[in-house]
Amino acid sequence: MKVYKISREGLDKWIKHWTESYDVFGPVEKNENGMTDWAEVKGLDEISTAPGTTKQPIKTFYLPQPETLFTFTSRGGEPDSDVLKETLDEGRPRVLFGVRPCDARSVTLNGLAYEEDPYYMANVERTLLVGVSCREQCGTCFCRWVGGSPFGTEGLDILLIETEQNFVAEALTDRGVSLVEAGGGAREASGEDLAMVESMRQEAEQAMSAMPDTAETLRSKDLMSMYNADFWGGLSESCINCGACTFLCPTCYCFDIQDEVVRKKGRRIRYWDSCMFPLFTQHASGHNPRGQKVQRVRNRFMHKLKYFPDRFGPVSCVGCGRCIRECPVNIDIREVLRDLLGVE
Amino acid sequence: MESSSSKITDEIRAEASRLLSSGEVAAFLGFVPGSLPMTVRPFVARSSEDAARLVWNSFCVMNLANYLPEVLKSVEPPRGPGDPEPEGPLPRVGVLATGCWSRNMVVQIQENRIQRDRVVILGISSRGMVDRKKVLARLGGREALKVEEQDHSLLVSGRAFNEEIPRWEVVRDNCRSCVHPDPVIWDIMIGERAGDRQNANRFAQVEEIESLAPEERWAWFQEEISSCIRCYACRNACPLCYCPTCFVDDSRPQWVGKSIEPVDTAIFHILRAYHCAGRCTDCGACESACPMGIRMRLFTKKLEKDVLEMYGAEAGMDPETPLPLSTFSPDDPQDFIVTGQESPKSTGDEAGRSGEVSQS
Amino acid sequence: METKKWEPRIVAFLCNWCSYAGADLAGVSRYQYPPSLRIIRVPCSGRVSANMVLDALKSGADGVLVSGCHPGDCHYISGNMYARRRLALLKSLLEFIGIEPERFNVSWISASEGKQFAEVAREVTEKVRALGPARHLVKDF
Repeated sequence: MKVYKISREGLDKWIKHWTESYDVFGPVEKNENGMTDWAEVKGLDEISTAPGTTKQPIKTFYLPQPETLFTFTSRGGEPDSDVLKETLDEGRPRVLFGVRPCDARSVTLNGLAYEEDPYYMANVERTLLVGVSCREQCGTCFCRWVGGSPFGTEGLDILLIETEQNFVAEALTDRGVSLVEAGGGAREASGEDLAMVESMRQEAEQAMSAMPDTAETLRSKDLMSMYNADFWGGLSESCINCGACTFLCPTCYCFDIQDEVVRKKGRRIRYWDSCMFPLFTQHASGHNPRGQKVQRVRNRFMHKLKYFPDRFGPVSCVGCGRCIRECPVNIDIREVLRDLLGVE
Repeated sequence: MESSSSKITDEIRAEASRLLSSGEVAAFLGFVPGSLPMTVRPFVARSSEDAARLVWNSFCVMNLANYLPEVLKSVEPPRGPGDPEPEGPLPRVGVLATGCWSRNMVVQIQENRIQRDRVVILGISSRGMVDRKKVLARLGGREALKVEEQDHSLLVSGRAFNEEIPRWEVVRDNCRSCVHPDPVIWDIMIGERAGDRQNANRFAQVEEIESLAPEERWAWFQEEISSCIRCYACRNACPLCYCPTCFVDDSRPQWVGKSIEPVDTAIFHILRAYHCAGRCTDCGACESACPMGIRMRLFTKKLEKDVLEMYGAEAGMDPETPLPLSTFSPDDPQDFIVTGQESPKSTGDEAGRSGEVSQS
Repeated sequence: METKKWEPRIVAFLCNWCSYAGADLAGVSRYQYPPSLRIIRVPCSGRVSANMVLDALKSGADGVLVSGCHPGDCHYISGNMYARRRLALLKSLLEFIGIEPERFNVSWISASEGKQFAEVAREVTEKVRALGPARHLVKDF
């Protein structure tokens, strides 16, 4: 890891230099209700400085909605008729600037499930993440609960930490170092800077220290004993079974596949699916193993907190709080964690 | 001074507790406080302890009629597909209802979704619910950590700020244009009935769009739905949407693509709105549920306006009046019917006959 | 299609008892009308749902025509009367969101109105021709 110091103007120059060889995206204030969302940017002044996370997670860059897997035509006589054509295209590399540490972690976590997926991995390959540490926690943030940190570096190429006058840039990967070099104008950080960043890191983590680290407890506990617990029923009675939580969740990655055909040309697309929808598990026979809402609600949480950790280790939740914020009926995953673990 | 919401809360708790402990109802459908400011959670109380948790405030935006059929089913004795109907009356459910929700319950009675004698309705005259998104917009990214409700204002506070917001300015669009705040059907009235509200023009938002040129309207529609993520929160929050298989899930034929391509999103929103025609009471649950801030209520509001203008009907105002789309009148307007009279070659009655030409 | 002159494609849902017979009569009587119609026979105009109309537009139809029996003449007594309400609302909603109203048409044609059918077909075709190819709701990639 190399640590640099860069001024605000210097960062703006970085972005301008990067746009020569990358598409640069950042959180931009575009929603009327004060929320930010991802959009292409040309300079630092376009990027929102609001605390908290964007409306949509960055999975839109890794799991496009929809993603074309291949195309085909059926025009007799034409040479490419009835031939499947690959659409896997590395495309122009891109930089996501201003990623929160929780969102960055989601790329790594989803990568555990998508390790062998060429489409996902091509997107990982061509996307560089420049993160910004969080100085403030929102009411819905709980990254510490699930093994994250407001200064977390997992998944990032560069982590920016705003100090009083400047930014400290931790180049965490080789890709990060080359990005800093491509940006130019950065000085190596002094020992003083490093000490300041370290104390900020401790302070931020201290501020969240009251939160339980549920990741460890979840792994050590027999969650299947809670499979028929009463609270699932109460939870599902409030739930309207929409997909807002799953579609806005950075670590919900389930998809469905469909062939779309119009006027003798077609494509196979992969698009987001949600375990909240009955169709998700519907069999061709008509039987549905998760036909009841309570089963679907339970599955969403159990997948994140039990099945995923069983298979891959970490909890499939980064604590960004989007599901809490956006749920129309205020279903709060923190309360589910409390119920599951009996923690306060 | 005690706010009107907290007075209503007290009355709801007392009534719900009485109904539950006397066994008049097996469950009571209301709200409990949420974990964030300006949120509540729909909740089914089954004991008087549960009833003590119920709350009423300006953020009760979800339509409880949407939950009613499911809760009614949950209190019935369990039985398998072939089992006979249980003898005697089935347990009842208590529920809160404002004007629009009670009208939805009327529609549910008309569509045989619920039975009137199985619900005990606690009627509340609605003062209009607050749009959380409007409050957040006014805060411009600052986080509200506490919101205290008073009769005519909201006291919002967060890190290093306190703000008083006049309540009516952040009331939902549908509530601002509401003319029927009082319940249409009820068993117990909580608080006073307010009477129909005078509203200069409840269709002003729709008329504004109608006045645009066709291409501008299309641009508006595309922009409005551009952020849709197809989570179906609007559909699932709606008491009118209960098809066992929604048209979006049909596969043969597949009416609409599953992704967020503009055409698919457009068809989803057109058909979702259209399926509510003549049944929608403008309760605003769809808009309140939408995480992306889409104003899909405008589509159903347009239909509401048309139904009122063309057929003089409003959904759910009277259990005895059939729903406007399940009835008709011989003199329904039909000025849109094509007659062929504007056909370019309609003059000279034999001129169009091809046979004449070949025979001559 | 790129080289050929564009001709409107109109999906026509015709009720089995009146309008389809009217179209048949137009043919038997040799009334000429534009070859733009793709006729789909339905039991009643009341059978035509908004889903079908939008599916036609999505699949590339430049216009849609729904035709049934005259009010009062419905084989099923009142199917067309329900249809009249539903289709009026659909037409208005489509217009509201910016679809040209001329793309969606409703007519009443009886089994004896072959000539009127040809006239309706002409009128609808020319109105759609004037608008050009449909763009707004056509699925393409």
